[in-house]
Amino acid sequence: MADKAILYDASKCTACRGCQVMCKQWNENDEVIPTEENGVDSRNWGSYENPKDLSPTTWLKMRFTEVEENGQMRWLFTRQACMHCTDAGCVQVCPNGSLYHNDLGFVAYNKDTCTGCGYCIDACPFGIPRSDRNLLTGIAKMDKCTACTSQGYNRIEATAAEADAMYESWKGELIPACVKACPPGALKYGYRDTLVAEGRARVDYLKSQGRGNATLYGENELGGLHVMYVLEDSPDVYGLPVSPSISAATIAWKDVIQPVGWAVGGLAIVGLGLNWLVARANINKEAK
Amino acid sequence: MTNHWNDLANSDVLMAIGGNPAENHPAAFGHITIAKERGAKLISVDPRFTRTSSKADIYAPIRSGTDIAFIGGMINYILNDIESNPGNYNLTYIREYTNATFLINPDYKGPADLEGLFSGYSGSSNEIDGTKRNYNKSTWQFQRDENGIPKRDMTMKDPNCAYQLIKKHFERYTPEKVNAICGTPIDTFLEVCRTFAASGQVGKSGTILYAMGTTQHTYGAQNIRSYTILQLLLANIGIAGGGINAMRGESNVQGSTDYCLLYHIIPGYLKVPVDSDTTLAKYITRTTPTSNDPLSLNWWKNTDKYIVSLLKAWYGDNATTSNDFGFHYLPKITSGQDYSHISLFEAMNEGVIKGLMVWGQNPAVGGPNADLERTAMDKLDWMVVSDIWQTETANHWKRPGVNPAEIGTEVFLLPAKNSWEKEGSVTNSSRWMQWRYKAADGPGEAEDDLWMLDKLAKRLMQLYTDEGGPSAECINKLDWDYGDDHPDVHAVAKEINGYDLTTGKLVASFSGLKADGTTSSGNWLYCNSYVEPDAEPDAPIPGNRASRRNLDDGPFNIGLHAKWAWCWPVNRRIIYNRASVDLDGNPWDAEHPVIKWNPAKGDSGGWDGDVPDGGAAPMNQGGYYPFIMKADGLSNMFGPGMADGPLPEHYEPWEAPIDNTMSKQKNNPVFKIWRPDQQGTPDKYPIVCSTYRVCEHWQGGQMTRNMPWVIEAQPEPFCEMSEELAEEKGIANGDKVIVESARGQVKFVALVTKRFKPFKMNGSTVHQVGIIWHWGYTGLSTGDSANILTPHVGDANTMIPEYKAFLVNVRKA
Amino acid sequence: MTQVEKYKKPVRILHWIHLVAFVLLFLTGLVLFIPGLGFLAEDSWTRVIHRIGAAVFIIAPLIYLIVKPKSVLHGIKMAFTWGSDDIGWIKALPAYYFKGDESKMPPQGEMNTGQKLWWLIVLVFGFLLVISGLIMWFAKTSAPPALLQWMVFIHDVSFIVAGAMFFVHIYNGLFHPLFNEAWSAIYRGTISEGYAKKHHGKWYAELSKGKE
Repeated sequence: MADKAILYDASKCTACRGCQVMCKQWNENDEVIPTEENGVDSRNWGSYENPKDLSPTTWLKMRFTEVEENGQMRWLFTRQACMHCTDAGCVQVCPNGSLYHNDLGFVAYNKDTCTGCGYCIDACPFGIPRSDRNLLTGIAKMDKCTACTSQGYNRIEATAAEADAMYESWKGELIPACVKACPPGALKYGYRDTLVAEGRARVDYLKSQGRGNATLYGENELGGLHVMYVLEDSPDVYGLPVSPSISAATIAWKDVIQPVGWAVGGLAIVGLGLNWLVARANINKEAK
Repeated sequence: MTNHWNDLANSDVLMAIGGNPAENHPAAFGHITIAKERGAKLISVDPRFTRTSSKADIYAPIRSGTDIAFIGGMINYILNDIESNPGNYNLTYIREYTNATFLINPDYKGPADLEGLFSGYSGSSNEIDGTKRNYNKSTWQFQRDENGIPKRDMTMKDPNCAYQLIKKHFERYTPEKVNAICGTPIDTFLEVCRTFAASGQVGKSGTILYAMGTTQHTYGAQNIRSYTILQLLLANIGIAGGGINAMRGESNVQGSTDYCLLYHIIPGYLKVPVDSDTTLAKYITRTTPTSNDPLSLNWWKNTDKYIVSLLKAWYGDNATTSNDFGFHYLPKITSGQDYSHISLFEAMNEGVIKGLMVWGQNPAVGGPNADLERTAMDKLDWMVVSDIWQTETANHWKRPGVNPAEIGTEVFLLPAKNSWEKEGSVTNSSRWMQWRYKAADGPGEAEDDLWMLDKLAKRLMQLYTDEGGPSAECINKLDWDYGDDHPDVHAVAKEINGYDLTTGKLVASFSGLKADGTTSSGNWLYCNSYVEPDAEPDAPIPGNRASRRNLDDGPFNIGLHAKWAWCWPVNRRIIYNRASVDLDGNPWDAEHPVIKWNPAKGDSGGWDGDVPDGGAAPMNQGGYYPFIMKADGLSNMFGPGMADGPLPEHYEPWEAPIDNTMSKQKNNPVFKIWRPDQQGTPDKYPIVCSTYRVCEHWQGGQMTRNMPWVIEAQPEPFCEMSEELAEEKGIANGDKVIVESARGQVKFVALVTKRFKPFKMNGSTVHQVGIIWHWGYTGLSTGDSANILTPHVGDANTMIPEYKAFLVNVRKA
Repeated sequence: MTQVEKYKKPVRILHWIHLVAFVLLFLTGLVLFIPGLGFLAEDSWTRVIHRIGAAVFIIAPLIYLIVKPKSVLHGIKMAFTWGSDDIGWIKALPAYYFKGDESKMPPQGEMNTGQKLWWLIVLVFGFLLVISGLIMWFAKTSAPPALLQWMVFIHDVSFIVAGAMFFVHIYNGLFHPLFNEAWSAIYRGTISEGYAKKHHGKWYAELSKGKE
């Protein structure tokens, strides 16, 4: 089954945040009602960017960046949500496979089996997953954007082929809520290959319009992201990592420590077993 | 809108001024995105760098309230450019389709001669009572020949011709003056001029997108007039991708205007009867424009047919030839009396008005000088509020700071259904009447407006019949029959379209309306919307054209979508479209033709494309002038009908930080001031302030401030200000600040941003702040109302309050 | 045979409490280490046990430290006092451990070199486990992700070392034929004189001297 993806075009986005609100509504995520009692986070902190950060109930939020260069003002908008990496740090560190790639290529997760370890939170190069954590007991559950597929996809229990067929026949319908909500058409959903081509064409156009640094972010990053951005400038201007990578600690932990641990544990048990056989025999012999 | 939302995609240059479409019209912005994908340029003119500016090719900062200087400067640039590069402009259009060629009364004098005033001013400019300050407009009128036809100079060289007077008027608006008044950097301003003037080329189009930033000034109507002159000089009216497009702030505000939202009109923009209209004939004579020019269609000559049909729709068999079709049942307003929003609330405050019905409005939040308007409501005996939520208006008697025991107003709250809980139509900015179906039941006892009105009307009719009363016939002679239980919305829609009363069939179009009482129509503009089923059999509701949902792009593939819903008048998608063709009927823009003369069509030729403004042949083949709604058939570059001058002249807002750089006349000389003692002065209130909306909230907030997801996205009212001002005042981002005007004060969150910059003009620095006005004391999210700060002053022509430019001071709370 | 007291009651209580805590920590940690066991960690209940274990693991020695500071100092002093006999012990270890060849094994004190090594491992890796664990526990929402990731690394390295040595410890105490009275030492607190003489020669000598 061909991978699907979301293409976000920052050059078309007006940051109306229809996506942000629709995401909450469709996924039945609670909001923070701003009263004096429930704290500072729910108040306006001097920005259009409210709430201030992602949370277990805010899977998508728009980031606003004011840039001023040579008297030229720019107000840049970026989507902050799961990028659905192919080489996904979160999937790599998840101890029990609760995070996984679904057949569409998106990083899905099974919240029921989530252990709450939070390794994914620290392993994500984009700092996306959040957990609702009781600091004392450590009880936690991770949440993040599902591309509206993880739950729906599981719910309809469709095979990959059936899902493909459904996508073909309902094209405009079975799409993530954010994409459906987007008034200026800054979000698109479809086959990843098609969207890569569209994104490239758009970048070429922006370059021809004097945006020399325009780039298609996510085409190749981390094995190819399933949420790609058309950016008018280099990623760092938008607060995105220029070359996102799986951290050394993830690799050290996942690819070094775990195998070593297995080896050491195994060797210890085998060695001790051997010793038991050898030493018992020797000592018994001696005793005789 | 002269054009429609989808048509924005056809534009080559779009100038958003006095509006912020990305913020307040987010869905419609998609059409702008399509235009931009085609390579169109977007210009954003705004006091601060907005969401729209973020997508614009050019951002031009402008101090609030200085649009006329800005546009005047553009007009001056274009008039000069026409001299040097006439080939870049459509001079035929200017000559043939506008009144630039008209000769004006030689006694006319303009602000260039009279220190900012036009000839005919009576009353001292220092007087503040609007009734004493007015113009005698006789010197502004056109010279007419013995037949009453305006005299023209087709060379446009005569010093008394409109073109030369306009030139003389606007040559004072130099780029330096624009800079000194608006604070716009000269190079940015000239870039805007060059870019927008490029749309003057034959085959190119430019559009102006505006909203309340344009209209809510003491000279708001003149702001629009300046756009008119600019767009006519660039031949941008009537063409695809052109026009002057009012972006309506609500889904049905166009519809409510069509049905007489305002006090000076009755449905279909017929003029409201006044006390001197003692007979129907007198009313018709007073309100019907005349023209002796055979080339002018003068559409309003049909006024008699429309008023009689309206009276027949309202009073049915009670409207007969012998009783002037019930004309005398209609209430008449006192001539010259002002019944606009501010006047009504001032009258409540004085105890003149005792009762108030509020329908889907929230004046306690949205009205200017809101504290005063809340106090005025305290003096009412009764108030009925129909809304889907409790509103500040409904709860005014228990608002913070008042003792409910001391307020005698008896308040009735009628729980209403929202638009998805009932069937009916809405008319959007594109003038499209779109039918909607009921999607869900309303909660609890909620009922729709039509049900409430039906019950109310029936009860009132009974009461007036039983007990009599002043003007009882106005009510109990009504022809009111929309069903016994729940009124039938289709019956209402059909009545609006109108019937041929001799056959009982729905009339096909307003050309079929008659003045003899044999036709009825609740709104002549909507004739043709709901016809006999066999006339529109394919509509989902046969006959109901508003229910059409055909996705076909329409003729010429310019996005007319002629079979999607229905558009007034007679499904004409772009009005004044006869101006989109040359004298032979060929489109100026062959790529985006709106209509096109087809000599092979029918017996003697006909039009392809959009529904033309009248079916007559092109002008060169004996057809009439293109602007059929104008008595003289041509568009008014020179506008002698305005209350405050035939040409727009820059004045400062009522409260301004600086003197008028153009003349000694600081303010518009004829706008209305109710409370002169509440004028803030720059020594106490040095900062310009404007109110506006944000994408996340809706108007007075009753819908969105009860919606947790939206509240979370925009949780509190804020005051946007520049880093420079914040530093001057010792304010940090996120601090609470007090914003204070001569009317009151509010506490908001400071949003310190690079997107606001101080204006540097004539060596002085002027700061501006902006506040959002959605909040009040009722609902899930509460906060201060920005309109506590705004003044009770009204535009000279429309009485719209000056929400967009007033003076405040800001300090850390 | 005459019994000698090897471990006093408080230290034995501490040992057993610490053992239970460690086993709990070990098992609830292990489920995150072996993907096949991950299902056991669903809904965070292992995380709760892990934290209870951690609290006991940290607090028990602290209480002992307060109650018996001299005993702790004595133990630490012994663990860090190394001499030529310890080198000799290491050299003699393979033959001793596998063949039971005691000929080259130098006489040992109250704490033999193996026990010293165990103590060092407990002290050093216990400390690392506690510090990295506390940071992950209480600074999960405030510390930088990279720091937290390296804490996981440290925690796991310590877990591997301590876990492997824990196997050795259990094995020695329960199964190795030479240490047949280790169980008695930590369960009843006493060992036979012969066992003491054989495994803690120097200490036994000192004890005997003291008696005289």
